[in-house]
Amino acid sequence: MSESGSLHRPSATPHPWARTTIAAIITLVLLSPILVVFWLALRAPVAWQQAGPTLGTFWYVLTETKVLHWLGNSLLVSLISTVCSVLVAAPAGYVLSRGRGGATSAFSLFIFVLQSLPAVAFVIPLFIMFANLGLADTLTGVSIVYVASSIAVGCWMMTAYFDTLPVTLEEAAWIDGASLFGGFVRIILPNSLPGILSTALFAFLHSWNDYLVASVFLRSESAFTMPIGLQTFFQQNLADWGPVMACAVIMLAPPVIVFAVLNRYFSIGGIGGSLAGR
Amino acid sequence: MTYQLAVHRRTPRLGRRLTLTGLALPALLLMVVVNAYPLVFAAIQSVHSGSLITPGPFVGLRNFADVLGDPGFWKAAGFTLIFTASAVFGSWALGFALAILLKPQFPGRGAFKVLLLLPWIVPIVVTAMSWNWLLAGRESLLPSLARALGMGNVMFLGNPTLAMITVCVFKVWISYPFMMMMCAAALESVEASIYEASAIDGASKWQQFFHIVLPVTARSTYISWILMAVFSINDFPTIYLLTRGGPLEATSSLIVLAYKTTFLDFLPGNGIAIAFFMTAVMIALSVVLLRQIRKASLQ
Amino acid sequence: MNDKAVFAQPMRRRTFLGGTAAAAAALSLGINKSWAQSGERIKFWDMVWGTGQSYTDAAKGIADSYVAADGLLNVEYQSIPWASWYQTFTAAGAANTTPAVSSGAAYLPFYFMEEGKMAPADDLLASLDKAGKNDFLPGLIDALRTKDGLAAVPWSIDLRVLWYRKSILEQAGADVPTDWQSFIKTGEALAKAGHVGFATSGYGFHGIASVLLNNAGGLFNEAGEPDCVTDRNIEGLDFLHELVAKQIIDPYAIGYDYSANVVPDWASGHIAMGFEQVGLPGKMPAETAADLVVASPLTSVSGNKGAAYWINPLMMFKTTASQQSSEAFLAHYLDNLHLFWEQGLNSDLPVNKSITDLPLFQNDPNLARSINEWQPVGKTIAARAKYPFGALNAVDGGSAMINMLQKVLQGESNSRALLEELQVGLVKVLNP
Repeated sequence: MSESGSLHRPSATPHPWARTTIAAIITLVLLSPILVVFWLALRAPVAWQQAGPTLGTFWYVLTETKVLHWLGNSLLVSLISTVCSVLVAAPAGYVLSRGRGGATSAFSLFIFVLQSLPAVAFVIPLFIMFANLGLADTLTGVSIVYVASSIAVGCWMMTAYFDTLPVTLEEAAWIDGASLFGGFVRIILPNSLPGILSTALFAFLHSWNDYLVASVFLRSESAFTMPIGLQTFFQQNLADWGPVMACAVIMLAPPVIVFAVLNRYFSIGGIGGSLAGR
Repeated sequence: MTYQLAVHRRTPRLGRRLTLTGLALPALLLMVVVNAYPLVFAAIQSVHSGSLITPGPFVGLRNFADVLGDPGFWKAAGFTLIFTASAVFGSWALGFALAILLKPQFPGRGAFKVLLLLPWIVPIVVTAMSWNWLLAGRESLLPSLARALGMGNVMFLGNPTLAMITVCVFKVWISYPFMMMMCAAALESVEASIYEASAIDGASKWQQFFHIVLPVTARSTYISWILMAVFSINDFPTIYLLTRGGPLEATSSLIVLAYKTTFLDFLPGNGIAIAFFMTAVMIALSVVLLRQIRKASLQ
Repeated sequence: MNDKAVFAQPMRRRTFLGGTAAAAAALSLGINKSWAQSGERIKFWDMVWGTGQSYTDAAKGIADSYVAADGLLNVEYQSIPWASWYQTFTAAGAANTTPAVSSGAAYLPFYFMEEGKMAPADDLLASLDKAGKNDFLPGLIDALRTKDGLAAVPWSIDLRVLWYRKSILEQAGADVPTDWQSFIKTGEALAKAGHVGFATSGYGFHGIASVLLNNAGGLFNEAGEPDCVTDRNIEGLDFLHELVAKQIIDPYAIGYDYSANVVPDWASGHIAMGFEQVGLPGKMPAETAADLVVASPLTSVSGNKGAAYWINPLMMFKTTASQQSSEAFLAHYLDNLHLFWEQGLNSDLPVNKSITDLPLFQNDPNLARSINEWQPVGKTIAARAKYPFGALNAVDGGSAMINMLQKVLQGESNSRALLEELQVGLVKVLNP
C-alpha cells in the first residue's frame, strides 16, 4: 500500500525503473506456479528415458495425442458461444441500460438469481434434457449451455458499457427519424466495440475453461474439449508430467494470445454499475 | 411490461415497450429454456428419496431436515464462510494493491498488466496440477523448503488446517486478477485533480488513500465483493481439483459437499437440498446488499 | 397500426434476430458431429482399462473386427474417460441413453440392476456353458450374482497384491514379510532407511480394503447390512494405526493424489512396498519395473489370508436394439480378451483359465504368484454379504470410508470408535 503515494503525479515518478523492478519481483512470485507449467513441459516423456530439457515433448504431444483435435473442438465451441453470447447479451444489456421501471428491475433481479444457482445441482437434469433433444455428447449442446450461463455477466458488462454512452447519442439519431431499434443497431453498437470485446473475452474464457459441464456432457473422445482431454490424458499417463504439462501449455496459449492482443479493450470495472444501478 | 424509456418521444410507448421486450427476449428465453427444466427436476428430487436415476418415494421435507441435522453440513457451511471471506477480501486487497502499483506510467507497465492476469486466464485444471506439484509431495518445492528452514514436515494438503489455508490462498491467487481489473477501473474515476488538491491541503499518502481513494471507489468495491462472494460460494472446481474437499472434509465447502453427497454417496435428494439452502442464502444476502448499495448511491 | 417508428424498421429487427437464428442454426448443423443415432449398430462403451491409447486401439480393434451373424447387429465402439465416469453413467441411465453393452467399474452393474436398467447375463452364461467356454476363475461368477439374476459377466480382475522393491529391501537389510508382524519389522527397517513401507494416497480405499480383507474382515453381514464393528476389522485398523505411528505409511500420504503423488513415489523408489494392482510395473520406468517383486499373501494377526479385488464387469443394458446382438457380441469379445494380455495392454488380471494358463503368465514369476496364490484368496468389499448390491458404489468411493481412512492416517487410534462412525455412515448411504 505504500505505493499509493505516487498516485497523485503519475508521470513524474522519480524512479520509474524502481517501480518496474518491484512489479517484476511481484509478478515473478505470483506467476511461479505458471512458470512451473512451462518448466515441466520441457521434460521428456518417461518412456524416452532422457534427462534434460527438450522441446521434443511438444512435438510428441502434437503428433502422438489428440491434443490438436481437442484444441480444435475447444476453439470451435468457444468462438461460437462467444459470438452467440454477444448477440444475445448486447441487446439485453441495452434494455438494462436504457429501460426504466418495474419490468427492467425484475429482469435484472431474474438475471442475478439465475447467476446464483449452483450448476453442480443441475448438471444431471440438464443432461437429461439435452439427451432428450439429442444434444448430449455434442459440441452444440455444451455451446448452448455456455451461452446461457454466460449471459448474466455478459449482460452486466454490456450494460456497464452502454451506461457510459450518453443518451444524446441516440437522441440525435432519433431526431433524424431512426427508431429505437435502429438507434441501437446503427448508433450504439458501432460505438460499443470495447464493451463488446470485453463481453466476448469473458464469454470466451468462460467456455474455454469450463470443466464441469463438459465432463458430464462429452463422453466421446472426438467431442472432447481441452480441459476434459487434458484430464483424461493426465489420468492415463499418470505421472508423466512432461507430456501433460506440454498439453497444458498448448491449452493456455490461445486465451493468453487473445488477451495479449485485445487486453486494452478489456474492462470489467463497470460491471458493478449494471448490477446495482437499477 | 412497464418499460419507460428516458427520452425517445417519437416512438409511442407501446412501440418502445415492444422493441425493448424484443431486445431482451433472446436472453430471457434462452435462460428460461435452459434453467426451467433442471430447476423443476431438482425441486422434485429434493423432496424425494431416490437414486440419480429414479426419483423414489416422496419424503416431504425430510431431506432438508436431514441436511440441517448433519454436523457435516454446518462444518461445510463454516468453511464456505472462511473460503468466501478470504476469497473476497484477500483477492480484493491484493488486487487493489496491484491496481495502485500499475496505475502510473512506468517501463513495462503494459506487459505486467497482461502477465498479472494469467492466474485467472489459465484453466484451473492446469493450475491445480501445478500447485499440487509445488505443494503436495515430500519432495515438492515448498515442503522441501520448509524442511530446509527447519520447520519439519509441513503438509500443505495433508494437515486439515493447512489445507484450508492452502485452498484459500489458491482461490485468492486465481481471483486477484478479477479484482485488480475492477479496482483499476474504479481508480480511473478518481480524478488526478482531487489528489493534487488534497496534496496542497497537506494530506499524507495514507490519508489520501483512506479519505479519498477508498470512499470514491466504495460503490465499485462493494459490488466487486458481492460478485466475488457469489463466484466463490458457487466455486466447485477450484476446491475439488486441488483437495477433493479433504482431508477429513476440512476443505469441503457447501458446493463440494453437495457434489459429493450427490455423486459419491449417491444421495441426490440430500445433495440438492444442500444446493437449495445455498441458493436461498445467497439470493437473500445479495438482494439485501444490492438494495443497500442502491440506497447508498442514491444519497 | 399507426406506430410508424417501429414498423418503419421491421426488416432491420428481423435481420438482427435472423442473424441470431442463423448463428444458432450454424451451431447445430456445423458441429453436431457425434451421437448420430445409427439404426444398424449397437453401442459398446469401454473405459480405459490399460495403457491409454494403445489399450483403446486394441479394444476398438476387437469391436471393429466383429462381424455379426445374419439378423444380428454390428457394434460401434466408444471409449469412455475415467474423469467423471459416475456422472457419465448415471446421467445416461437417467436419460435412457445407456449403450447396449458396456464395461464398467466393479459395482456399477448392481446399481443399474436395482434400477431395472440391466439385462441379466444368465442366458449369456448358459450359452457360454454350452459352447464349453465358461472357464471363469472360481468365485467370480458368484460375486456377480444378485437376487434378480447375474448382473454381468467378468472380464478382468483388479487384484491388489503386495509388491516390494527387491533391491531396496536388501539395502535396508529387511526380509520379505510373511505375516503382519514381519511386515511391521520390514516396514520399520524401510522407514529407518527413509523409505515408505505401505503405499497409499489420501483417497486410497484400496489399501485399507486389502488389510481388512486380509484379516477376513468385511463391512457387511450375510444379509448385506452394514456390520463394521467386528474383531477382525478392529484388528485391521489397529494394524494400520501401527503403520502410521511408526511412519511406515508416509505422513504426507493424507494429502496425496494417487496419480500425481503415489505413482511418482513408486517410480523414484521412495515407496518400497505396498498393495497395488498386478499391472504396477507397467506404470514404472524400466529399472524400477525390473526391481518389483510380488510377495506371497500375508498371514494376518488372526491367522487368515485374503486379498482385495474388484471384478471388472461387462454388462448389458436394456437399452439395446436387440438383446441377442448384445449377447452375441459379448461372446465374441470374451473370446478375444487374450489379445490384451498377449500385447501387454492391460493392468489387471484376466478372468479366464484359458488365459491365465498361457505361458506368458506362468513364466512370469510375479504374474504366476498373483494368479496362483493371491487370486484364490481374493474377496470383494461385499465380503460376507450373500449378494452384492448397488449401494456398494457409495461404499467404494463414498465419504464414509474415505473419512475413516483419513482419520487413521491422521493418527486416530480408537479403532472401535472409527468403525462405529463408519457403521453410521454406511447405514446412511444404504438406507436413504
